[in-house]
Amino acid sequence: MALLEISDLHTYYGQIHALKGITLTVGEGEIVTLVGANGAGKSTTLRTVSGIARPRTGSIRFAGRDITGMKPHDIAALGISHVPEGRRIFPLLTVQENIEIGAWNVADRKQIGKRMQEMFALFPRLRERVQQKGGTLSGGEQQMLAIARALMCDPKVLLLDEPSMGLAPVLVEGIFDIITRINQEQKTTILLVEQNALMALEVASRGYVLQSGKIVLADTAHALMHNEEVRRVYLGEN
Amino acid sequence: MEARSPADWMYRFLLFPLGQMLAFIAGSAFILTLLAYGIALLFPEPRPNIVLADQIGRQLPGMVISGITTGFVYAMIALGYTMVYGVLKFINFAHSELFMVGSVVGFEVFLVFSAQAMLLTWHPVLLVAIAVLSAGLVSGLLAVTMERVAYRPLRGAPRLVPLISAIGVSFFMVDFVRALMAITRNDFNLTYPLNGVDWARAPIPLLIGTTTVNLRPTQIIIIVGAVLMLLFLNYFVNGTKLGRGIRAVSQDMTTAGLMGINVNRIIALTFFVGGAFGGAAGALFGMNVGTVTPFVGFFPGLKAFIAAVLGGIGSVTGALLGGLTLGMIESFLNGVLVYFPVFGQRYTDIFAFAVLILILIFRPSGILGEKVDEKV
Ligand SMILES: Nc1ncnc2c1ncn2[C@@H]1O[C@H](COP(=O)(O)OP(=O)(O)O)[C@@H](O)[C@H]1O
Ligand SMILES: [Mg+2]
Repeated sequence: MALLEISDLHTYYGQIHALKGITLTVGEGEIVTLVGANGAGKSTTLRTVSGIARPRTGSIRFAGRDITGMKPHDIAALGISHVPEGRRIFPLLTVQENIEIGAWNVADRKQIGKRMQEMFALFPRLRERVQQKGGTLSGGEQQMLAIARALMCDPKVLLLDEPSMGLAPVLVEGIFDIITRINQEQKTTILLVEQNALMALEVASRGYVLQSGKIVLADTAHALMHNEEVRRVYLGEN
Repeated sequence: MEARSPADWMYRFLLFPLGQMLAFIAGSAFILTLLAYGIALLFPEPRPNIVLADQIGRQLPGMVISGITTGFVYAMIALGYTMVYGVLKFINFAHSELFMVGSVVGFEVFLVFSAQAMLLTWHPVLLVAIAVLSAGLVSGLLAVTMERVAYRPLRGAPRLVPLISAIGVSFFMVDFVRALMAITRNDFNLTYPLNGVDWARAPIPLLIGTTTVNLRPTQIIIIVGAVLMLLFLNYFVNGTKLGRGIRAVSQDMTTAGLMGINVNRIIALTFFVGGAFGGAAGALFGMNVGTVTPFVGFFPGLKAFIAAVLGGIGSVTGALLGGLTLGMIESFLNGVLVYFPVFGQRYTDIFAFAVLILILIFRPSGILGEKVDEKV
């Protein structure tokens, strides 16, 4: 049984039919990626899993439990952490406060302190900036902060929405390294949404290709990387 | 870095906010003093009018103290508007009624004190604390109920809808309290049983330079009470986990939910805190003016709303600044306008509303406000 099982999910924004029957699974310890063009429904898929968008039909099961239609804060409390598109740092909270907010449901202060030190080890840049307001960080630092914040509750699954968006190429490499390390060192399961399909497929074990709200391909990352259609459409080759 | 040093704590939660209040008071008093002298020296014949300037000069200490008193009341009410606006981008027009209810609860509590002969035997600090805390508690719970019943079901509706609901709630509460008082007391002019009680009514002479200012004890109670409560609020908002939750929700509600924060609970908490401050202000105000009615919320509520806009709606510091500034302006106008027969004191309010119009025209985000992205 997979850790996260999504079946036949339909999500609407008013009249707009954004997800037209998404079915996918993420196994424990895996990195699975969801690639596709702008507007394909990648973010909506993550938003539906974390409860900020409501599906009209379909179901989401997490660790065997039906979480469809649950409130975002209850889903977060179960161990699903969502790093939203555009990072969504709290701009007027300090870096430290942003990180602490990520541990909202952790009662043990010692645990929070220990976890925070782990985050500073993973992202030394954040340690230098603890008392700075979140809104004053650079894009790359904000991405680090968003990931650190999401990891503070020691989640079972991390939903990452376009972590490389808007970052300089050097930083993109760094972020993908971190994603691999989180998966290997913390044993965190990751569902990764990317437009940068090549990088995503390099770190993932499996992938899904999304088009207009439907999954059009599902395979191992290796196979997708060598699929001619994928190479042509998503990796920009002719 | 998690454990802050005591010195750092003292600075953030004691010295800094106290300094801020002092700066706001001293700043507005200074500017208005210059203006008052300027007016005295410029306008009436013979020019310059030294006699008038001297007269106004002797009134200044009194004006400043009454300005601070009014200002703190406005600031405490303004906090409720601004905090709720911060999380929901919504003006709770029924907030003035929470102030009114607080003043009525304060009256009821003092009536009990009086009936039980505690008024003269118990320590005044204890009596005031019980009255103010009861008023705060009742108004806070009422604010939570208000949100649950009249605003939460309308969340996501067009912005005018909850606004209209708030106006409805406001009328409902005025009439409800009026009916309640008419039935139980056969009168809705509620006079605090404080007349003849020395700790509340005996003037305290204060010698400033060569002039003596008579302070009302209740003015001191308002100032001390407000300062303590504002210090607590600053600590609560900036120094506790729940306060951090409130700030997170007001910056990005959706993302706050993703962090595991129960957003509805934080919104209810915000209403509670705002309502409690409004109610506490009502009781303090009631003690000072002596008589309150179910209609007593209207003007202070409106003025406090202006204060919140003046300081920058959504900003807690802005509410403090706006409240103190507006209180000072009013008190100075009261002091100066008597010398202008054409105007007279009755016209003070016109200036308060002129201030609102001027801010809306020239700086809609208020003195300390962030840029306004959405117009109300
Ligand atoms: N808040 C919204 N309101 C209305 N339509 C939306 C909203 N968010 C996304 N959509 C629409 O839903 C579809 C899927 O969007 P999204 O999930 O953001 O795609 P992706 O993340 O793959 O770029 C798009 O057609 C988009 O225009
Ligand atoms: Mg997207």
